[in-house]
Amino acid sequence: MHSMALAALFEVLHIQNLFAIMVGVVFGLFIGSTPGLTISLGMVLLLPITFNLPPVTSICLLLGLFASGMTGGSFSAILLNIPGTPSASATAIDGHEMTKKGIGGRALGTAVTSSFFGGMFGLVCLALASPLIAKAALRFGAPELFALVLLGITLICSFGQTSMVKALISGILGLIIMTVGLDPMMGTPRFTFGVVELQAGISFLPAMIGLFAIPQVLVGIAGKTRVIPQYRDKISGVLPRIRDILKLLKPMSLGALVGTGVGAIPGAGGPIAVFLSYDYARRISKKSLNFGKGEPEGVAAPEAANNAVAGGALIPMLTLGIPGDPITAILMGALMIHGLVPGPLLFQQTPQFVYSVFWAFLFANIMNLLISLSTIKIWVSVLKVPEKILLPIIATLCIVGTYALRNTFFDTGIMFCFGLLAYFMNKYGFPVVPMLLAIILGPNLEKHLRMSLIISQGDPSIFVKHPISLIFIILSAISIIGPFLAPALKPKRRAYR
Amino acid sequence: MKKANIIISAILIAFCSFFAFLTARLPQRNLPNTLGIDFMPWTLFIILFSLSLILLLKSVFTKSKPKQGQGITVREVGGVIFLTLLVYLYVRVMSYAGFLMTTPLFIAVLMLSSGARKWKGIVAVSVLATVGIYFFFQKVFQVQLPGGLIF
Repeated sequence: MHSMALAALFEVLHIQNLFAIMVGVVFGLFIGSTPGLTISLGMVLLLPITFNLPPVTSICLLLGLFASGMTGGSFSAILLNIPGTPSASATAIDGHEMTKKGIGGRALGTAVTSSFFGGMFGLVCLALASPLIAKAALRFGAPELFALVLLGITLICSFGQTSMVKALISGILGLIIMTVGLDPMMGTPRFTFGVVELQAGISFLPAMIGLFAIPQVLVGIAGKTRVIPQYRDKISGVLPRIRDILKLLKPMSLGALVGTGVGAIPGAGGPIAVFLSYDYARRISKKSLNFGKGEPEGVAAPEAANNAVAGGALIPMLTLGIPGDPITAILMGALMIHGLVPGPLLFQQTPQFVYSVFWAFLFANIMNLLISLSTIKIWVSVLKVPEKILLPIIATLCIVGTYALRNTFFDTGIMFCFGLLAYFMNKYGFPVVPMLLAIILGPNLEKHLRMSLIISQGDPSIFVKHPISLIFIILSAISIIGPFLAPALKPKRRAYR
Repeated sequence: MKKANIIISAILIAFCSFFAFLTARLPQRNLPNTLGIDFMPWTLFIILFSLSLILLLKSVFTKSKPKQGQGITVREVGGVIFLTLLVYLYVRVMSYAGFLMTTPLFIAVLMLSSGARKWKGIVAVSVLATVGIYFFFQKVFQVQLPGGLIF
């Protein structure tokens, strides 16, 4: 075990992998600090590059982006009151107030330090919890695995969606799309219309790029161009003092704890974690009245939380094969392209790779801290890059990236179709994340469902007879029915009061 | 949004019917102790059809306007059609003229449509971005980009 951890460490310390982490961190800071560009978009833009890289180098690149994208999101939140990523929304509340007071540099320093603290806390939890969860999950058979995948999809549908029906429709459409191609059990073509390229099914990559990148390009070109205010003041006092960091340990610890916990729940995601941690930090703080008026504790708690989410979200993805949010879903897709299927078997069959993920995440957090603190003034100037330059380059990268998959424009067409679909879905209130998750988990869902029914000779009670499967199915049912019942329960509570 | 939801529900129900038609035509293989290849599609059809009906009924019987999505304007539809045609044209022409010839034009047109007006900036960005992407994919990552008939 220790020898494998050491071997993984030496592998990650290879110059190529350290360089990949650095590139990922720099790209993540750029993506995060540019309003309008999301970490998911950054991930899908990097995915085509990872085909030709070894799996460990690929994961180093993507984890570097994951760790730093969250931090970069806070820069525009603090300086311009425009969160670079949704997870930086809570940081803007006190961070921008600090900027208004002329201590924006201190707010940025606090954000970077807290992000590092949160990231490291998430990593420790990931390293400690995931081997145990994976070991327990090894006992799962087909019924448990089906119920688990079902739970992952339903949780994504239920969390933070404005309409549960629309979220479920999005998920089911994703599952229908994944029925295209050769049948996983018999190898008979399904809905391929005689098109040879469709026999292998719809690839993850064009779908992911289309769902996340093309709508942003379409919004920028088809819609109104956003006018982003420019930050012109000088930044100073970024390097935090030890004394200040020690004072912020309590909100940082709270944020890290909440972030890791919420991140580990599939579907909950960063925005929920940051607002929860902000609220808890305000409640336990002696300076609660200063919250909202430029209080550093109001920056430390959500920033620690949003980076801890990364570690937390990796736990269900690596151990159970259930991504917690769109970013981990894309990461999972990246691993699957390399033939590595996240889940308990990953720990059993390729333990050295799992250790490499832990080490890569550690170095990503360290590099994020060092690069962020030393180059923060550069990222402030990145805020000035206009969308009219970025969007055409993103569009070109999407087209070239999907072409690179199989050297055919067929995938580019698929990507653009997904882009159009996602654009209209966004416009009419259909979330795209359930569709993405269904596309990634769909084949497994079908495989485990059919295997379970073959084992039971067509008897569906197999899912109820297995206790763990029963628990997952009950939780899935609650996550579907809960949002429908919630509005009905609310008036009763008010009447009782 | 209420009207839009009714139209979307109708489209989804129409899609369900088409999907059911395709599923019914799937080849059948009677093997012992196995479920047919149409098992999953039929299951998904039933769920999607039920959800589409729920959305339709909710939309018809809901009085207040739900605050979901923003709808789409004529200008946005025009933008979507423009980009679709531009990408189609770019991909078609690239097959003949190659990546290096077509990409600067594609980027320049996109920049113009995004509101860029300074010619020097447009030329600089489109040429530099093309060369950068070409170098990155073709030289660093050994991805063969379309050369066309000229290169």
